[in-house]
Amino acid sequence: MKNIYLPEQVKIEKIETLSSDVKLFRLKKKLGKFKADKNKMVFTPAQFLLVGVWGYGESPFGCASSPYERSFVDIVARNTGGRVTSALHKLEKGAEITVRGPFGNGFPLEFFEGKDLVMATGGCGIPPIAALMEYVVKNRKKFGEVYLLYGARSPEDILMKSDLKRWEKDIKIILTVDKATPGWNGCVGFVPDMVNMIKIDARRAVATMCGPGPMTNALEKVLRPLGISDRRIFVSAERKMQCGVGKCQHCTTGDKYVCMDGPVFNFDEIDKNWD
Amino acid sequence: MLVINKKNLEDLAKDLAKKSLVFVPVERQDGERVFSILGEEGGPDFEYSTTLLPAKELFFPPKEKTFVFDKKKKKVLPSFAPEKFVLFGLNLRDTEALVQLDEIMKKPKPDYFYFQKRDASTVVSIINVADPLPHVGIDLILEKVNEKEYKALPLSDKGRSILRSKFFENKEKIKAKVNPESKKMPKLRKLLLDPELLKDAVEWSWKGKPEIWDGLAKKCLGCGVCTYVCPLCYCFSIEDRCSLDGEKCTKSREWDACTLPGFAKIAGGHNFHKSLKERYYNWYYHKFVRGYKEFGKSQCVACGRCQKYCPAGIDIEKVLVEIVNQYQKLK
Repeated sequence: MKNIYLPEQVKIEKIETLSSDVKLFRLKKKLGKFKADKNKMVFTPAQFLLVGVWGYGESPFGCASSPYERSFVDIVARNTGGRVTSALHKLEKGAEITVRGPFGNGFPLEFFEGKDLVMATGGCGIPPIAALMEYVVKNRKKFGEVYLLYGARSPEDILMKSDLKRWEKDIKIILTVDKATPGWNGCVGFVPDMVNMIKIDARRAVATMCGPGPMTNALEKVLRPLGISDRRIFVSAERKMQCGVGKCQHCTTGDKYVCMDGPVFNFDEIDKNWD
Repeated sequence: MLVINKKNLEDLAKDLAKKSLVFVPVERQDGERVFSILGEEGGPDFEYSTTLLPAKELFFPPKEKTFVFDKKKKKVLPSFAPEKFVLFGLNLRDTEALVQLDEIMKKPKPDYFYFQKRDASTVVSIINVADPLPHVGIDLILEKVNEKEYKALPLSDKGRSILRSKFFENKEKIKAKVNPESKKMPKLRKLLLDPELLKDAVEWSWKGKPEIWDGLAKKCLGCGVCTYVCPLCYCFSIEDRCSLDGEKCTKSREWDACTLPGFAKIAGGHNFHKSLKERYYNWYYHKFVRGYKEFGKSQCVACGRCQKYCPAGIDIEKVLVEIVNQYQKLK
């Protein structure tokens, strides 16, 4: 019988500091490359890994690199002060950690094809969107208009700036901050004005939402006013996770398991859940 | 029909104990029933009503080491297969619970640590009440046919091998006497026959009768005892530790309880089940709504443990009867 809890040792190939409390970790297999599926992808954007540091525990992280990249997988971790992220942030290049997964469903990419796409994310909700961006950029012709709305606390909390520059060639990016600093020309908060900046055909558009705080704002001020129905808004939900395989019960919301049925849900699928 | 005399049950267990560990329900000195190694703690009680902890503790212990990692070798050390053992004397409701727990642990993928111990075990049920069902996964069922005798129903090779014991005799005719159902939690037992109604009523009650949950949240201490004593509660958390010399790291998994404050709390502080009302409701929601949707039945066998051991005196039978009554008034 396969032991579903047995983690795999991986090596940290690179660590990049993205902001005062966020780091990117590039993970490499000890032998060979990550296995790809029939679509040549190592994971589906929004799928996650349970990343572990021996002695400290495991936590879920969305895969942030291109799903087509087989030689490494990137994760982005904010130091929340929790055991795992604190331990991760103390590690250096070359250290060994563990992974299990990828777990979860990921975005329904086939359903997205041929449609306009609006991605709303905030703070540390960027990793799964980064993977989706890489997918979109690689398959740009399959999509109509594509927008990324990305909110952060302050300009310096905007992560993956060099990637944003690269993506900007193919898609439209709208950055917003909660608190502007001198020199900031972008938006402040998710504002109703954004609706006018986004030119999409709502009848054939889909939206994604990630990250905790700004979600409600993005939903009420931008996505719904744009005319995108809740059925076509895909949320990457966040919950406590321990097992990743639908057993331990920590991640449930209503009758769903975020680790198995999610993390991506139609918004109308989970917004009526009692919890 | 193979039959064993009631007075030989303990001898059969003793015979089995010559080859492996045998766990039996015993009456402890303080009067509490527990599953214990034969001969270690009080005499066996094959007509027990409830034990303190359910038999799940043998397959899914309160705390177990799952992995040991050697930091120098950078390797997970090989784990040792559990010792073979016999669980002898499970009553009807505990038998039903174990069969259901097997089913739960199989999905979506088999739980390695649970089935390691399940495979190492031989389970003999002793059923003293009317019971028309075979229980797949149990190795041998000894069902009471009259005051003195039990008939044998083997359900596996392991079970059949026990029947070679000298204590079984073949009888063409036996005086059968129908044993009445146990009187424990009769109303809940009846409700469990209609798990769909229970699902609908519990699901409705959160918004339909919030005062029920407000009231229960005031009573409930949030201690988690109901989940620990429940034979069908199986949520867990994973704990990581380092040895003092820093050379070895261990992972263990331990029972958790969805009623405890940190159960749905994530690093960074957000708690998805902030109030005790949410957490206590979640316990029912899992058993009667999510569990039903996943497996087609309520995750409860009316064993009576949560009723007996709740320090706040909450009676789950009364709660469910009340919810169902309120729900049916609407219709």
